[in-house]
Amino acid sequence: MRSPEAFRVQTAPLRPLFAKELCEILSGRALWTMLLLMCPLVGYSFFQAVSLYGEASTAGLQSPVLASTLSPLDGILVPTLGAFYVAVTLLFPFVAIRVLGQEKESGALRLLVQLPYRSPTLIAAKLAAVLAAWALSSIPALSALVMWGLLGGHLSAPETLNLFFGHLLYGLLVGAVALFAAAVSEGAATAAIVTLAFTIGSWVLDFTVVGQPGLLSWIANLSLTQVLHAFEQGLLSVGLVAGICAAVLGFAALATVWLPPGVRIRNKLIRSIVCVLAVALALGLVTQIRLTFDVTEDRRNSFPAADQRLLASLAQPLVVTVHLAREDPRYADLQRNVLAKLERAVPNMSIRLAGERQSLPTNGVEDRYGEVEYSYGAHSDISRSTSPREILPMLYGLAGVSAPAPAPGSDYPGYPLVAGSQVAHLWFFFGLPLCIALAWWWSRRLPQPIAARSSRRFNHEHN
Amino acid sequence: MDGVLHVVSSDRPIPRNSIPAMPAAAASEQACDQALLRVDSISKRYGDQTIVSDVAFDIQAGEILGAIGPNGAGKTTLLEVIAGMQPVDKGQVRWHGKPLPPSRRREAIFYLPDGVRPYQEQPVIRVLTFFADVYRRSTSEVENTIEAVGLTPVLHKRVHALSKGYSRRLMLMLGLLAPHPLLFMDEPFDGFDLRQTREIVNLLRHEAVEGRTFVLAIHQLADAERVCDRFVLLADGRVRGVGTLNDLRARTGIADGSLEDIFLALT
Repeated sequence: MRSPEAFRVQTAPLRPLFAKELCEILSGRALWTMLLLMCPLVGYSFFQAVSLYGEASTAGLQSPVLASTLSPLDGILVPTLGAFYVAVTLLFPFVAIRVLGQEKESGALRLLVQLPYRSPTLIAAKLAAVLAAWALSSIPALSALVMWGLLGGHLSAPETLNLFFGHLLYGLLVGAVALFAAAVSEGAATAAIVTLAFTIGSWVLDFTVVGQPGLLSWIANLSLTQVLHAFEQGLLSVGLVAGICAAVLGFAALATVWLPPGVRIRNKLIRSIVCVLAVALALGLVTQIRLTFDVTEDRRNSFPAADQRLLASLAQPLVVTVHLAREDPRYADLQRNVLAKLERAVPNMSIRLAGERQSLPTNGVEDRYGEVEYSYGAHSDISRSTSPREILPMLYGLAGVSAPAPAPGSDYPGYPLVAGSQVAHLWFFFGLPLCIALAWWWSRRLPQPIAARSSRRFNHEHN
Repeated sequence: MDGVLHVVSSDRPIPRNSIPAMPAAAASEQACDQALLRVDSISKRYGDQTIVSDVAFDIQAGEILGAIGPNGAGKTTLLEVIAGMQPVDKGQVRWHGKPLPPSRRREAIFYLPDGVRPYQEQPVIRVLTFFADVYRRSTSEVENTIEAVGLTPVLHKRVHALSKGYSRRLMLMLGLLAPHPLLFMDEPFDGFDLRQTREIVNLLRHEAVEGRTFVLAIHQLADAERVCDRFVLLADGRVRGVGTLNDLRARTGIADGSLEDIFLALT
């Protein structure tokens, strides 16, 4: 007797499942349409970036000081990949939703869930297809960077890879949200609305509540677009990466919960709550991870190397009490120039925002407002400066150590470049779209070896 | 062939229309002993509406069982509930007498829903290759089944370009590639003409002799009478009769009645 034991889920090979998902995503119009739309979008951003960078470089070529402020990360990479980010935010959800939504609409999902795969395996395969789609959709952005290299531009490998890694995580996050939306929605249109509510809602959060104190600040941190900020600043934050991975896994787990059709809604809701709680716990834990790497070539997120080494040797706790409101621009300066760098360099440091409950003083009535108190061991000192040039010597004084001598030759030279972008015009408006159209046509060909074999057999039988 | 498809039941397939009429209690006892799958008092509601109410019947190994009823009788819901594609409100399913939970139904049952055209942008051959690879079917197995189902002329066509009949054949082919002992098919003859229906009936009959069991939801009584060994007659979500054509004739007292006559008499 045929027995159910013969068809356990562990026995099914994974290769055909992944191949099927890849074929499905390549056969859809959404991916190719998105790629075609991205050509002019990324191309235009690249032209603008090269043009503005060239204008700044004209002056930079005359002055080494000005040249040292010219970094391709800010001038070329971030703006060019900014267009990629816009496309991933607005267009990629439609590609990712298709991975599951198409099967749901055609009824094929009811066949898929009967195959000998577990639901997590099915969702993992779909997430892998989303990843493949993201990799394909990054081709215009990658080609812009190749174009920049051909024009003679400089790219720092760690900066570039870090930024791409950030975009990869953002793409996976959008893809996971789209999969979850497709799993809970009856149709692709509803799933698109749900996903765009996440992605465009993040923009709204960024515009409206960033920089606001208290709860609004915490809400702003939930924005998906926050994912990219650290990477655009040249930071690789282990906590952020772990947090994004937890969120991606969380949305994938939710999609897994909602995938099987034969489970009661009540059970799905209970499992969803468990998932959400687990992810919330994981996110709470990863916020405790403070390990961050500054991968910028100009070390903009760190003090000079000698200072970094000396600050890392400070054993006692450093307590910084800031008498500034969070929305005060001076606090933003202090945070960017001093506090964030100190947090990464000093092993034992804490920051107290004493001015958090204060509003911006209008008449200078608040005596201590604007002061920043640095306490190291039994010593403390007060400063109103936001510059490391004043604060570092003060800290060394508190710790009783001598300021290190600046290392010669460690200054960032900058990479000014004045380049024309006519060839890039041709590439982004003609060459790349043509290549994409050809790849689209190629992807829709029949699988020749099998088809030919079947044809031969068919012809043989009918002659 | 990897061996799975050719494993023939140790229980001999039940010949078509061979079970003699017997008292209901005795029939039930015997059926319980021999049943491949037993459906026990299954009920399903959507809100206030009862779709399937207290349905119970057995499925014997190697038979072709027809779930017969007009549109809206609850055939599709019944099949989906048994196959674990929809949550059930009440009742259970037993496999060889042991409870088979919904999460494990797909290990025993493969359900082919009505109105599905899977992977419409893909050529037929690619869809077949996917299923064949998942179930580790050999090339010769796939080619033989393609030939048996009659899909050869459309292998290069995309699924969305198939006619309704070929779309049905594709679904049937996918079901035959699955190694499951029990195949549920919803309206398998919809879209076929008389000649095509006969071809498919012969194919199902051959598969049944090989040891596979079929449950077909059919609303066309003539087709059902032609292919099924036994019948579960459904109306308004309730079972109105279960048995072979002879059983049902004996129960209704219509000696030479067609399935249509019997169905009208019972509902």
